This record gives sequence, structure tokens and C-alpha cells, in this order.
Amino acid sequence: MSTPSSVLTDDTRLSRADRLLLRVEALLNLASGITIFALVLLAIANVLLRKFLNAPVPGYIDWTEQFMAIFAFLGLAYVQREGGHIRMDLLVGKLRGRLLWLFEFLSVLFMLLVTTALIYGAWFHFDRSFDWNAPNFSTDSSIDIALPLWPAKLAVPVAFTLLWLRLALQLWAYGRAIRTGAERPVAVPLIEDPAEQANKEAATVAD
Amino acid sequence: ATEWNVSVWGKRRAFTEHIEKMAEIVAEESSGEFTMAISYGGLSNNRENLDGISIGAFEMAQFCAGYHRDKNRAITVLELPFLGVETLEQEVAVANAVYGHPAVAEEMAQWNARILMTSPMPQYNIVGTGEPRDTVEEFDGMRVRATGGIGSVFESVGAVPTSVTATEAYNSMESGVVDSVAFAQHAHLSFGTIDIADWWTENLNPGTVNCPVVVNTDAYEALSDEHRAILDAAVEASIDHYLTNYAELLEGWETTLSEKGVEKVTVAPEEIAKMRENAGPIHEAWIEEATSNGLPGQELYDLTVQAVSDNAPSN
Amino acid sequence: MDALIDMKALLEGVDVFTMSLWLSGLLLVLVVIGVRVAFAAAFIGFLGLCLFFMQKQGFDRGLVTAMKTVGQIPHSKATQYALSLIPTFILIGYLAYYAGLTRYLFEAAKRWVGWVPGGLGVATVFATAGFAAVSGASVATSAVFARIAIPEMLREGYDKRFAAGVVAAGGTLASLIPPSAILVIYAIIVEQSVGKLLLAGFLPGMVSALIYGGLVIGLAKIRPSLGPAVGGYSWGDRFRALPGAMPILLVVFIIVYSIYFGWATPTEAGALGAGVVLAMAVWQGMRFGQLKGALMEAAKLTVMIFAMIWGVLIYVRYLGFAKLPDAFATFIAGLDYPPYLILLAILLAYVVLGMFMDAIGMLILTLPVTFPAVMALNGGVGGEPGSLGMTNEEAAIWFGIIVVKMAELCLITPPIGLNCFVVAGVAQDAKMDISVSDVFRGASPFFVADVITVAVLVAFPGIVLFLPGLL
Ligand code: NA
Ligand code: NA
Repeated sequence: MSTPSSVLTDDTRLSRADRLLLRVEALLNLASGITIFALVLLAIANVLLRKFLNAPVPGYIDWTEQFMAIFAFLGLAYVQREGGHIRMDLLVGKLRGRLLWLFEFLSVLFMLLVTTALIYGAWFHFDRSFDWNAPNFSTDSSIDIALPLWPAKLAVPVAFTLLWLRLALQLWAYGRAIRTGAERPVAVPLIEDPAEQANKEAATVAD
Repeated sequence: ATEWNVSVWGKRRAFTEHIEKMAEIVAEESSGEFTMAISYGGLSNNRENLDGISIGAFEMAQFCAGYHRDKNRAITVLELPFLGVETLEQEVAVANAVYGHPAVAEEMAQWNARILMTSPMPQYNIVGTGEPRDTVEEFDGMRVRATGGIGSVFESVGAVPTSVTATEAYNSMESGVVDSVAFAQHAHLSFGTIDIADWWTENLNPGTVNCPVVVNTDAYEALSDEHRAILDAAVEASIDHYLTNYAELLEGWETTLSEKGVEKVTVAPEEIAKMRENAGPIHEAWIEEATSNGLPGQELYDLTVQAVSDNAPSN
Repeated sequence: MDALIDMKALLEGVDVFTMSLWLSGLLLVLVVIGVRVAFAAAFIGFLGLCLFFMQKQGFDRGLVTAMKTVGQIPHSKATQYALSLIPTFILIGYLAYYAGLTRYLFEAAKRWVGWVPGGLGVATVFATAGFAAVSGASVATSAVFARIAIPEMLREGYDKRFAAGVVAAGGTLASLIPPSAILVIYAIIVEQSVGKLLLAGFLPGMVSALIYGGLVIGLAKIRPSLGPAVGGYSWGDRFRALPGAMPILLVVFIIVYSIYFGWATPTEAGALGAGVVLAMAVWQGMRFGQLKGALMEAAKLTVMIFAMIWGVLIYVRYLGFAKLPDAFATFIAGLDYPPYLILLAILLAYVVLGMFMDAIGMLILTLPVTFPAVMALNGGVGGEPGSLGMTNEEAAIWFGIIVVKMAELCLITPPIGLNCFVVAGVAQDAKMDISVSDVFRGASPFFVADVITVAVLVAFPGIVLFLPGLL
């Protein structure tokens, strides 16, 4: 069901950096998926324990909300690497060559700017909930069973930082593509031509 | 002209009437030179109002201590179960006594905040389905939707605190996921739990939440002397308005009970005493934890207990 | 920077409300030039907050306040319990795919209704309606059926835009037919019974499916080139297709049973459904690698949707500071027209807003304004019906269904329509030659169908209120 990625690779420094980053990103995305799975199991456990033993999971909602910060953010950079964040391709779908890479460069630059602000803000959001001298290092806690919130809040700036690295790498890649005018640069998600698409589709079916 | 942004949540209700009143008074007294724009959820989530104040995103906000105990450990003393508070007037007096303690001011200062006034909430009595439960024994095995300290005290007599959201409380009680729900009256009304309840405990009074209204310290100090005086002076009239308004709501409560066919359960004093006994260790634990946090735990606790008895409604 | 730029002086007298309209226009430009939507919205929200705070606090402090304000929103908004349903239902979608449920459903629908004009389109509508009974997220439903129904329709020579449009629109049924994440969100915002709202969505969901089906038949009759009927199935073939689709009934039974007999809250019931579907998928021989694949895909889609939610909510937070909702409330309250005309105006405003916004963002932004406006419009006191012919309690449920239908409409209207993006995304992922604009064009007739549905629900509120009335 998952199809081969449309990101090309070669043995340049750029592409090696891309694959190195991908290894971390894919691992975190899997962690995100496993968290979703764990959440389902937790809910089932809560229902069954409550029904049969009259002993529901204490603070079930608090725990769920902590898990949510993990699955909502860990995969951010991976999705960007695969070109999975949705966008309107009305205009860029029609562009080719340097002009296309210019638009892609600008687009990633906007993302990088707002991500920089988000890293700063999310870090301080974490920082307000964390204190080396407080019990459990906590200065913010959940409503029911007072779980410390800082671990979940820390996941956010970490995920944004990884996304920042990915965006910086894409700027590098698009910048190089603008310079070289390459039709099919490495390390960025590409819009495929029909022949290539057909080949890859055949490959998925054979799998 | 000065405009303050005020962050509250939900919709306009008895719980926010003092803030509405304050905006009215302040605008009037300053001839429109000092106004407040009250936003119901547009500026922040309810659990991040203190963060917003600390950042300086808005000038005034309301929050409940129990939403995030670690953010405001000192005032959680007001949320301890079975403090024995009976009326809203008493609630206000006790809250003001605690707010006046330097440890509270210091903790709020870490958030760049300064407490302006409280938002007194009635005690979280429980509604339930099935046979009325009026003894501690009958609480054994009862699934109750109650969070924090109130949940703990129910747990201590064998009840089962069950985690469901406030919005799912109605559905959960209806289907039997929980047997009972602890809320203040207005929440029993707005979440509809009263509609399907068979009974309501009128005098269990297990505790409540404490919800101050705070201002951003910089913004407060930046006010002109005249405006600051207007703001400070408006507190009393705002609280009076709140209490009058809530009293009307509570009058309607009796009618609501009889309309919905909800039985008023009176728990015998000796039964309440049994539960209050179990609240003892929870109080002890609070003092111990507060002290280990560098707060004057015993002092805050004694202050609270003293204020409760000093302000007991005269019979 | 304060020494270099005096932002307070520069922004002196700039009207915040006007500024918010300009920035909203700029957001549109960013989206059109292809900036990822979540980040375009976040960027504009951040920019707006910068200007808002700099006007008050100068450049340096204003910038810090803006960064700290936007920095709270992702964690704060993404960790709301009600939203935990979303990944659960996405996972159900992928697991159901491995359990063969979606394929069986589509196959059964094809054999039963494929013979009508535009048969595979009608089959898609009914299969998505069936799947809606286990899925609570319309985006996930569209994503799953994009993988199954579109390739099949393309094989039968269906018009690619039409095929993609049916899937995008069919997915929206998942938000009316219970379980439904967005109805839960509505219930939370306006503090109404989740159970009543979920029950209220059932009949309108059915009506909506029938209207979609009718529309597909009508279109296919007018333009046979859209796609042929797929006939030639005997009654034997039809009945043989049913057992495969039966497990969906089992899942529905478990969800309904567990909610109504006190096993689970509506939110937890979703997880029970996921558990059952997981067991089925394992029984069907799902391998570990496939489970890992499903988890990777579910995570990807979840992250994408959540980014959309917090991204849009950063922009919405800015609108909150710019007091756009207040401006709207004042506007509505000042109107001196018949109630149904004002209601129509509100619904039209939703159509316009819905073009640019995501469904959840739009509800969160507008309900604090429109809900009280509609309640005031109805004006029922106590148990007395108001000017819309309903008690206020009934009107609250009824308006929920109407507004969710409007929000679903915004998932299929350009330029921002999540369902269409997701269908195009899946199509691109599966290397089908379908662009976002193809999907939008294909979905446009369903806009008409939705308008008819809303009109029917306004004319006959009983369709909404009958089932919750039984509670
Ligand atoms: Na559904
Ligand atoms: Na739209």
C-alpha cells in the first residue's frame, strides 16, 4: 500500500545528508504510528477493566492527552520529506525547471520562517512547564491525576527542530537546483512523469 | 484610551458575570477611556490562560487552579476536599484570605500575574442514577466522575473515580459508564447531568475548584493612577453582582430539581464525618508536598482553616 | 530593533480589523503559489500576531510575544481529548483496508446498484455511507476509498474527475453518520449532549447519501461519458457478496451496543471498533510488515491533519485578537430581517468562509458567534418553541447537524478543501494522474446536492430531531 518515495538519491553530500535525516525521520514517524496503536489498546483496556473489574485506568484522559502530543508531532519532518503536507498544486503543477525550483524555494523559505518562530515559542511553552528545582521538574500538570506536562511539551520543539533541519536541507537542494537548472534534483519530492509512474505502480503490485 | 483584552472561556454565564460587570463599571467610571474586550475562548485555551498572562498576550484572564495544579500549587489549598465551606460569601472570604498571603503573590509573580478577585464556585455535590446513595457504605464501588482531590476522597471510601470528559458526562451517566457525577449546580445544568439524574446530594459539600481572575503585572502597573484606582474599586461591586446573580440561579435550582423529579438527598452528619476523616490524610499530604516545594504549607493550610471557621455563616 | 524601527509609531492608527482582512487575502496568495496550507495559515497567523503585538508593545517585545503566543498553539490544540478519535478512525480505515472490509463493501455495492447509470459512482456513495458507520473522520474515509474506488472506476473508463469527486464527496458522509469526530467537536464547543448529536446525524446522513446517489444517476443520464453502468450480476452474485460486507454490521453493532448499554463512551467506542477491525485484519492474514505499513500511513495522515488543525488555529487565534468573530456577531445582531432570511445569510457566510477554511477550524472560529446568534434568532424560552419552530434545546441539536453539513461542504470547495487535497494526495501517492483541481472540479456537482440536503433539513427538522427525541 505504501508506494516508493519520489525523492531521488545519488552519492552527493546533499543526498547522503537527506538519507541520514530520513533514517531519523522514519523512525520517529513509526514511533508516532506505534503511539496511535498504543492509544487504541489503552482505550480498549480502559473499557474492559471498567466493565469487568470496575477498575478503569486512573487518569485515562490525562494519559491519552499526553500520548496525543507524541503522535501529532513526531512525524512532522517525515511528512515534509515525502511531500505529504497538503498544498494547492494548481500553479506549481504547471511550472518547470528553474522557475519551479524558485517557487519551491520560496515556499520552503516561508515554512522555515514560521517554523523558526514555532521552535522559539514551543521551547518557551515547554520551559514554562519545566523547572529543575520542582518535584518531577514540573510547573504544569494535567487536570485529573496531575501528570507533569513537560515531557509532552518537549516533544513539540524537538519535532519542529527536526522539521527545521529538513527544511534547511530542502532549501539547499532547491537552491542548488536553481543554480544548476537540473530537471530532476535529488533530496526533494518530485512530481513524476507518466512513464515513471507506470513503472512504479507495476512495482507496487508485484510486491 | 486603554483597551484590555480579557481571556475567559465557554460562554457568558453566572461564572463570568463579575468580569462582565467589571468591564461595565470600568468603562463607565473612566468615561470610556479604559475598556475591556472580553473574549470567550478566542485568545487562549482555558488551560493556557496563565501562560498567556505570563507572555503578555492579554492583560486579564480567568483560570481554575485545579486545571493545572503544578502551575499554582499555593492556591490549590482552596481546592482541598471537605474544608467545610457552605456558602459563596464564605468562599469569597476564604479565597481573599489566602490570596493575601505573600507566598501566593510570589507564586503568581512567577507568571507575571497578580490576582484581582475570585470566582466563587458552589460545592461539587454529586448527582446520580438509581437508588439514592446517602451513606458512605453505598459509595463503595460507585463509579463517579470526579477529578483531583474530590476524586481522591471518593476513592478513599471505595468509590471508583472514572475518567470521562465533562461533555461526555451526560452520555456516560445515561448509559451507565458512570453512576454519578460531581459538578457545581450550573455545570449540572449546562452539561445536562441533572436531566437524567435521580438524585442530588444537597449537603455532602466535598469541595470545589478555585478560579481567580488575574491581571498581567506590567499592564496593571502601566495603568494611570486614576484607571488603576477605578479597577481596584470595581472589584467589590463586581463580586456583589456575581453573588446576587448566582443567588438567583440557586433559587431556580430548587424549582429545577422538582421539575426534573430529582430527589434531594441529605447525607447524615455522621456519614459526612466519616468521609471528612478520610480527607485528613489528603490534607496532610498536601501540606507535606507544599512544604517540600518550598511553600509554607502548614501556614497556608492553617490560614485556610481559620478563614473557613471565621467566616462560617451564622445560624 | 526598537532603536531602528519604531513599530508603535509605524502602526499607529492602523485598524486591526482591516489589517486582518488584508492578511486573509495574503493567505490566499500564499496558498495559491503552493505553500503547504498548514504552514501558510500558521505563517499568516504569526505575521498578524506580530503586527498586533508590535502595535502595542513595539518591535522587540511584540515579536517575542507573538512567537511565544504561536508557540503554545500546536501543543495546546493538538492534545484535546476529543481529537484523539481522529487517528483512531484513520487507523480503522487502514486496518479495514487490510481486513478487506472496504473492498467487500465496494464489491457488494457494485453488484447491487452497479446496473444504474453511473453505477460505480452510486456504489461508491453507498459503500462510503456503509463505511461511515465505522469511520468517524470524513478525510480518512475519502483517503481509504480513493485507493479502492478510483482505480476501479478508471479501469471501467469513468471520467477521472468524476471518479475523484464522488470519493471526495462520499467521504463527507462519515461526519454525519455516527460515529463522527466533528459532531463531537460541535457538542464540546456548544456544550450539548454528544449522544444526542451523534444520533441526530444518522437520518440526515442517510438522506444525504440518497441525494448524492440521485445526483450521480442524474449526471450519468445527462452525460453518459462520465461512466457506464456495470451490470451482469445475478441475484446469486449479489447475495454471495453480502457475507464479506457483514463484519461492518458487527462493528456497528459493537459500537452501538457499547455506547447504549454503558460499556463505553462514544469516544472509547471508536477504539473498540478499531480493536474489532484489527482482530479481523489479523484473522485475514495481515502480516507484521503490513501492520507496520498501516501504522506508518496512519501516522503520516494523522500528522498531516493535525498540522492542518494547529496551523489553521494559529490563524484563527490571530482572528480572535483581531476580533473578527465579534464583528460578525454585531453584524448579525443588528439585522432586522425575518429569521429564515438571517439563517440563510449565516449559511451563505459559511459557504464563503468554508471555501477558505478547514472544517474544524471553521467550527471553532465561528460557533462562539453563530451558535448564540442562532439561539437568539430562535428565541425559544424554556420548553416553548421559538421562531424556527423548535425549542432552543432542539434548535441546538438541529443547528449542529446543519452546521456540520456546511463544514463538510467546505471540505469539497476550492481553494482549500481537505477531502479533495487528500484524494489528490492519495492519487499522487498511488501514481494516478489526478490533480487537486481535477478533484475540485469533479466534486463541484456535489455542492448542489449538499445545498439540497441542507434545504431539506431546514424544511423538515423532524429528520434531524426524530432519533434524539427517542432518548
Ligand atoms: Na461516521
Ligand atoms: Na473549502
